[in-house]
Amino acid sequence: MKRIPIDKAVPGQVLAEKLTRHDGVLLAGQGSAITEGLLRMLARMNIDSVVIEEEESRSVEEVLEDFRRFTQDLDARFVRIEPQSVLQALKKTMLYLAEKDRDETLALINNPVSASEGSAEPPQGAAESVNA
Amino acid sequence: MPSQPAIQDRVQAKREVRRIKNLPTVPGIVAKISRMVENPETSAAEVGRLISQDQVLSAKVLRMANSAFFGMSRKISSISQALVILGFEVVKGLVLTSSVFDMIQKSMAGLWEHSIGCAAASGAVATLLGRDDAEEILVAGLLHDLGKVVLALNLPEEMNLVREKVKNGKVLFYEAENEVLDFDHSELGQWLAEHWNLPESLAEPMRLHHRPEKAVLKPECTAIVHIADIIIRAKGFGNAGDLLVPPVSMAAWEMLGLRKTDFLPILDILEPKLSSLCDITSID
Ligand SMILES: [Fe+2]
Ligand SMILES: [Fe+2]
Repeated sequence: MKRIPIDKAVPGQVLAEKLTRHDGVLLAGQGSAITEGLLRMLARMNIDSVVIEEEESRSVEEVLEDFRRFTQDLDARFVRIEPQSVLQALKKTMLYLAEKDRDETLALINNPVSASEGSAEPPQGAAESVNA
Repeated sequence: MPSQPAIQDRVQAKREVRRIKNLPTVPGIVAKISRMVENPETSAAEVGRLISQDQVLSAKVLRMANSAFFGMSRKISSISQALVILGFEVVKGLVLTSSVFDMIQKSMAGLWEHSIGCAAASGAVATLLGRDDAEEILVAGLLHDLGKVVLALNLPEEMNLVREKVKNGKVLFYEAENEVLDFDHSELGQWLAEHWNLPESLAEPMRLHHRPEKAVLKPECTAIVHIADIIIRAKGFGNAGDLLVPPVSMAAWEMLGLRKTDFLPILDILEPKLSSLCDITSID
């Protein structure tokens, strides 16, 4: 998901977060599509950005290639500090998040409908493996 | 000794710094605000009126105040409201940042992105630590590498030598600066901070973000900016001149009481902010 300014929002995009008025009143639920009417309403209320679901335009191969390049760049950035355990933990965390992102994206490509609904809680082991 | 030091010793290096003639002047409005804020009689409305006179500047400041940086649930629609909600120091920092924005962008490609990334990361670490001065620490992160702007604008030849040394992907920017000049951007930042009369909460992180264990006046703020600089470099967001993650100061790490498991929640706070900061990467 990503936050975009209201002038970049177009009808049909799917809200990744519920939209509320400044006083908390619900305007549109999570998962609902943006409409012309909603955009006019948001402009009137001075709401200047919305969070939308990102559409995945990459293929499976491209996602895997991007991930491979990411790990390569990550190794290059961390080339100097191999012995520092704090920085090793940081690197592991970065890697964990990238893997999670890769897997969610692949799930979205393989099964566009269910993936956006049932995104699971992060596995408990992730934080622990960082500490190991 | 490295083969091609532009300057032989430290004394001469200091002379070199003085040779810099066109040190950027403190933006007039920042100097005015500083004087006003020193006077306890000054009200938020008066400072607000002064900033509001410059419409372009106020628009930039409001844009940053409403950005994902601060995650305000309500829109801040005037400078005086920003002063009440964010406080004098933060608004002053934003005025300063808006004033030097063009300078940062022109000096080095990627430095502005590194700066806002480090700001967001400073805010994320401060938030995780439950600090109530998170906004001020964020502004310190925003301006921490301002010394690099002085280097790029005033010592272009030396800057090119530094760039050459960094190219192999094994040398940190500040190490290369020290080889070429015998000082680095943290000292240039300190010099600028003194010249501009910046508060210690900005000056000390500028001077000591690579040696945070030396900080005495704002040690925690400096330590947070140090960690934030490392986190944003680890993410590969922006470009601070080199693409390496520098070593972490264990003294700073331990002083803050951070644990290795804290990286995950910090990155969770940071990630959505970074993706929405694209709207202030060009604030004109
Ligand atoms: Fe730096
Ligand atoms: Fe930096």
